[in-house]
Amino acid sequence: MSVEEQIRDIVSRIAHIDKSIITRESTFKEMKADSLDVVQALVAVEEAFDIEIPDEEAQKFQNFGDFVSYVESQTAKKDEA
Amino acid sequence: MSFEGKLALVTGSGRGIGRATALKLASLGCDIIVNYFRRRETAESTAKDIQALGVRAEVIKANVGDPAKIDAMFDTIANKFGYLDIFVSNAASGVGRPIMDVDVKAWDWTMDINAKAFLLCVQRAAKLMEGRAGTVVSISSLGSRFVWPTYAAVGVSKAALEALTRYLAIEMIPKGIRVNAVSASAVNTEALQFYIREGYVKDSKQTTPTGRMVTPEDVANVVAFLCSDEAFMIRGQTIIVDGGTSVAPFVPGGQEQA
Repeated sequence: MSVEEQIRDIVSRIAHIDKSIITRESTFKEMKADSLDVVQALVAVEEAFDIEIPDEEAQKFQNFGDFVSYVESQTAKKDEA
Repeated sequence: MSFEGKLALVTGSGRGIGRATALKLASLGCDIIVNYFRRRETAESTAKDIQALGVRAEVIKANVGDPAKIDAMFDTIANKFGYLDIFVSNAASGVGRPIMDVDVKAWDWTMDINAKAFLLCVQRAAKLMEGRAGTVVSISSLGSRFVWPTYAAVGVSKAALEALTRYLAIEMIPKGIRVNAVSASAVNTEALQFYIREGYVKDSKQTTPTGRMVTPEDVANVVAFLCSDEAFMIRGQTIIVDGGTSVAPFVPGGQEQA
């Protein structure tokens, strides 16, 4: 399963929304994810990929695609290491 | 006051009150386990400062809102050290919302981290404290007894924490473990910045009779005292550290003489 699919699974489970409506352009507001959903999604993704996502970085995410891109970049870094 | 040769676990000790408490205990000779949830760099910075004081520091990541993670943390402590003398339950989180907007998820998140974790951690810590005259201190807040805007979920969780402190204090007596709480008003930490940004806290200097805000070190000093032998007969109490705020709601702030 790709990084994007795994994160889509996590977000849909936490925010209780259908996976099919989450696109890379979806904002957290559109996904009806409140601030606690976002924190829980960050925690779940950090655990799933064994990475850390600083709040300062997370605050820059405009949409689901930004979230995925950040995690992809971090997992790629980890693979190189 | 000396804690030489002792080992303390301080949850949430990367920042704020937890960090100040860890450093205070370390300055009195205590080895420290620094627990953190999401910000490794803050925990590592605390650990470095602890080591500079000439004692041992160990960093353990754990979300205390998750019972499995609590178990994993205590398994690590049991394997690496096999004992524990001091447990400070400081890690806290919460959802700042009007009470009608507190849903099940927000309630569970707040109660799990602020109240349930204390119970589960003490149950594990007590086993590591056998025969060692252990001490436990929980960190509460005045929101347990006073009403602050959007603080309902956290305030109720802190009230549960204080009640648990009383029950544990008595039930732990046969095990030789002392349990107390420290409750603070608005403390100058990163967590407070949220309430300042939202406009709920304006200028605590004006509302504190002593004329300045409570610092993490003010709280840490009382935690250290409660962990000392001098506090032997204090059991199940919640000691308030608020510069006099709660006893003087009608007294203007800023009266401290230099």
